[in-house]
Amino acid sequence: MAAYVELNRVSYRYPGATRTLKEIDLTIPAGESTAVFGASGSGKSTLAYLFNGLIPHFFGGLLEGTVVVAGNPTRNTMVSELFSHVGLVLQNTDAQLFNATVEDDVAFGLESLGYPAIDIRKRTHRISDALGITHLLHRSPETLSGGEKRLAAIATVLCLDPALLVLDEPFAGLDHRGTRIVSDLLRQIQRHGKNLILIEHRTKPFFTEADRCIIIDQGAVSFDGKPAEASGVLLDSHLMPRYPERSIRTRSRSDEPVLVIKDLSCRIEGRDVLNDISLSLTRGEAVAIVGENGAGKTTLIKHFNGLYQPTTGEVSFKGRCIRSLHPSARAVAVGVCFQNPNDQFFEADVRKEILAGPKRLGKYDRKWFEQICDTLCLHLLLDRSPYRLSEGEKRRVALASILVMRPEVLVLDEPTAGQDGRFKEILVHICGSISAMGTAMVVVTHDLDFARASADRWVVMHAGRIAGDGAPEEMRQKHLSILDNATDRPPRSVAGCV
Amino acid sequence: MANLDPRTRLAFLAAAVGAVLVTRRPETLAAESLLLLGGVVLLKADRRLGHLRHLFGPMIALVFVTGLVFFDLQTALTLAARLFNLLAVSFVCFQTIDPEEMAGALQKLGIPFGLVFILSAGLRYVPLIGRKIRNILDAQQARGIDLRPRIKNISNFAALLTPLVVQAFVLSDELALAMESRGFGCKNRSSRRTYSLRPIDYILMGASLGGLCLLAWWERG
Repeated sequence: MAAYVELNRVSYRYPGATRTLKEIDLTIPAGESTAVFGASGSGKSTLAYLFNGLIPHFFGGLLEGTVVVAGNPTRNTMVSELFSHVGLVLQNTDAQLFNATVEDDVAFGLESLGYPAIDIRKRTHRISDALGITHLLHRSPETLSGGEKRLAAIATVLCLDPALLVLDEPFAGLDHRGTRIVSDLLRQIQRHGKNLILIEHRTKPFFTEADRCIIIDQGAVSFDGKPAEASGVLLDSHLMPRYPERSIRTRSRSDEPVLVIKDLSCRIEGRDVLNDISLSLTRGEAVAIVGENGAGKTTLIKHFNGLYQPTTGEVSFKGRCIRSLHPSARAVAVGVCFQNPNDQFFEADVRKEILAGPKRLGKYDRKWFEQICDTLCLHLLLDRSPYRLSEGEKRRVALASILVMRPEVLVLDEPTAGQDGRFKEILVHICGSISAMGTAMVVVTHDLDFARASADRWVVMHAGRIAGDGAPEEMRQKHLSILDNATDRPPRSVAGCV
Repeated sequence: MANLDPRTRLAFLAAAVGAVLVTRRPETLAAESLLLLGGVVLLKADRRLGHLRHLFGPMIALVFVTGLVFFDLQTALTLAARLFNLLAVSFVCFQTIDPEEMAGALQKLGIPFGLVFILSAGLRYVPLIGRKIRNILDAQQARGIDLRPRIKNISNFAALLTPLVVQAFVLSDELALAMESRGFGCKNRSSRRTYSLRPIDYILMGASLGGLCLLAWWERG
């Protein structure tokens, strides 16, 4: 089969940085689908930027070797000439969808190519219809759900009918429903003979359907072969996490509840987001809150530390209404580590970042700080800028900045999002250590494997209510339809559009 | 109004802004205010304008107080009324012309695509920045950094501004990547929107220009 992409002894260095890619040799025949895995910072996204000429034309830097795409050496071919052959879908859909409406975004590439207005309208509507997003065309991307954004982002490049589609972490932030919809779409695209290159941390979706699997380790290809042969390598390199067996801690009647939520309802902008939520947490308990996107999980945890006021009902910490506490006291009672660690960082180094809260409240405890740094392996990072850390390191620093306040309840919001298997294993261990200290742990997650490894109890949420509350296996079996979203409709056929 | 070419609606906007700026007499300003409020009611946008009172109100009050302190009551009232009219004109404009139409109209008028894109990207990302601000406030409050609007919390506002600015820079980098990957810099770019001026558009544009000139002459008299 003719090669569509050829990389010949390719090495690359960003301006002012060390080599990110090292001596890569790769030939991708036409029509092949390839899954690319690697740890955070291994060079996966950098590899993606080679295919459409962003490297070297946009990033500069030092490119050695040759990259040829559809017969065009990318060193001599500008991005504006390559983008109709290679569609790149970025991980950040807020950056990918940069126009005021979805229709403007889908049409943008066609306008760049100078298509007449009538053809642009025809193609835009055809691809939107095929992907089931026609009803979204007049909406702002800001109003879309994660799965809708991902479909719209794919539509922005699919309408150009490129022969090669490169997707950087297409399943990031998606629940099972969103993951299934995107996987189904990719399978259809694959069946129509397009080249697909999927770059991911999450090994489960689409893995077995790919024709080929490549693993990147520290900028070099460490595995290149069939997916069936890759599983062992993925496990050995901890890209697929290996979780230890968990001995479930059951609640006893004598366990005093630390946090009690009673008959909580929340109405936001005229919409009932939460309805009649009641649950309690005891010391040392580890709970996972699971459910699809939009079920109300994040809204619920924002009530735990008093960020939100319930419309009805109450949240009490050790018998006192959480909202009656001063904001600084709430942070000591219930610590919440939100999904994006970058929302927290404002100091010059990690040490100051972690101690920002305690020093403001006059609660600095050196021994406790040292213990946190030991538990989270942060000693070597203390003098570094938090902005220059890897995603896993950032997550640990963000967690430390909450733990250092000594909360009695700790809530983690999607702690595994965008993280590789190695970090997930470390996080399970960290969660265990924190629970052993007597802190009640709550993890909000889509990752059911992680939820099973880190929690003794699952609270299943659906449409703003608690659908189930109990042991993980029992919840898994009882609420399969909620957790696996079995009732979804995949996109219609993309035949004729690809 | 919706059937008019967006360039015609832009011409109305320009004429309306010009009319507010050339008006000197208080009675004319008052008449303009009434006309604009009538327009808001006709568009059934009075509630939306009401929601903006927290934004518009302090601005108008500040201008009034400044005028009163440094000049006199009549000047203060004139300045406040003029500001209200300008804000009302822009409010009415955005109710009748959506951002994509405005971008298309500006392009048709020969404004370079890059400049037009700045306007539409700004409108796209303002709500996103608002969301980021809320996320940062929640994240910092969760670790005991008080960012409620109090005098004693002023020193804490670096905890809001720093992550916001950093994330804005990161987003702009990724945005540039996305734009380049979809041929932003291509020459001979086309547009999915087609506009054509009809005789009624020319008549109305002429009428708004004529009305502005008449008002300017009237005010000078």
